[in-house]
Amino acid sequence: MPKAIIDLTELLERVENDRELIRDLLLIFKDEFPGRLQALRDAVDSMDGRKVAAEAHTLKGMLSNLAANSAAGAAARLEQLGRNQEASEFQEACASFENISKELLLQLDTCMAEVCG
Amino acid sequence: MRILIADDEAMSRKMLQKTLERAGYEVTAVGNGRLAADQLCPADGPRLALLDWVMPELDGPGVCREVRKRKEQSYVYMVLLTSREAKEDVVAGLKSGADDYLTKPFDREELKARLRTGLRILNLEDRLVEAREGMRFQATHDGLTALWNRGVIMDLLGRELDRSRREQVCTSLLLCDLDHFKSVNDAYGHLAGDDVLRETAKRLLASVRSYDFVGRYGGEEFLVVLNNCNPACAFARAEEIRKAIAQTPVPSVSGPIPVTMSVGLLLSQDWGRLPVKELLAEADAALYAAKAAGRNCVKVASPRISSPDSDSQDHESVRARR
Repeated sequence: MPKAIIDLTELLERVENDRELIRDLLLIFKDEFPGRLQALRDAVDSMDGRKVAAEAHTLKGMLSNLAANSAAGAAARLEQLGRNQEASEFQEACASFENISKELLLQLDTCMAEVCG
Repeated sequence: MRILIADDEAMSRKMLQKTLERAGYEVTAVGNGRLAADQLCPADGPRLALLDWVMPELDGPGVCREVRKRKEQSYVYMVLLTSREAKEDVVAGLKSGADDYLTKPFDREELKARLRTGLRILNLEDRLVEAREGMRFQATHDGLTALWNRGVIMDLLGRELDRSRREQVCTSLLLCDLDHFKSVNDAYGHLAGDDVLRETAKRLLASVRSYDFVGRYGGEEFLVVLNNCNPACAFARAEEIRKAIAQTPVPSVSGPIPVTMSVGLLLSQDWGRLPVKELLAEADAALYAAKAAGRNCVKVASPRISSPDSDSQDHESVRARR
């Protein structure tokens, strides 16, 4: 069984056990994540460090809010690479982030079912 | 307490909003810095704000700088909330005018505690402003009647005369004196006399327009300044004031007291550029004329009233009999 990307215990604690709020957050995430991910891919393809940092920064915030800490960590790495203009590392770091993101997206519905019954 | 949240990231906004609503705040949430500044800059905007650093149009420090440019309005307590943790970021955020700084993901209890600190500061500001306003009121108003005190009403009169001369309109001043006020104090006591002064002030204020000025000039003397008021209107207003005082006895601790008022009316347009003090002396002369004419009446100051030498002797004798 793959490791849970979202730390549900931490998330529940953070929202004071408000399951309805978690549902809203997951819905916002599902709605916004694909567009943000695409923007990150575009930034990586353009090798624009500033854009990479900005897009990765936003994704990091979203993932932190979901207590998806490993995914947020991968986004943080991309942000740092972008800030440092280390363009040679962009593709590898982005691929690594996308792998975690794929797993996260697979787990979202399970998480939603677990939270909202 | 109202609080503004500005964050372009919808999930953060939602979480913050929920957390703060649960803590009892009235939350307004916006998605960019420009909207945040537009909300915070007006005088009636929220006084607490949580601002994300990176936002479209205007970033968090930019919002802080815009808000701090305002000078007269109440203080806005602003907390920057961001995932930037570097020391230089903290310094830059505080330098922009933020009061505090929190990193994401935020700890709920820490956030609430820091906002409570903000509330304490805002409450302190409220108390200081209240105390200052109280002192300002005391310094400018008469303690008994709450009308403008002598210094202020004279100042207002001076400014109004300057303005009316500039704009070539007429300012009217009414020097009003309660008749036989000493007898009121003697017959009904000083507390009743105070009631009469307070009620007189109320009636004077009720008889003028919101932009006219009423001040306590001396013991039982009041000065009313009617801005941009033509002669017909000024005389009608003076009569209304006289009637408002005389019509109904004043309720007091010693029962209802019938009172009347004499009024000296001066129209600035008739007196060229005479200094304030001399205009007041002329209004005083008209007031004496009203006293001499039997009291409870209005007399208009005109060069004719004040010029004969014999009149001034009459004024002196009326002054003694007031």
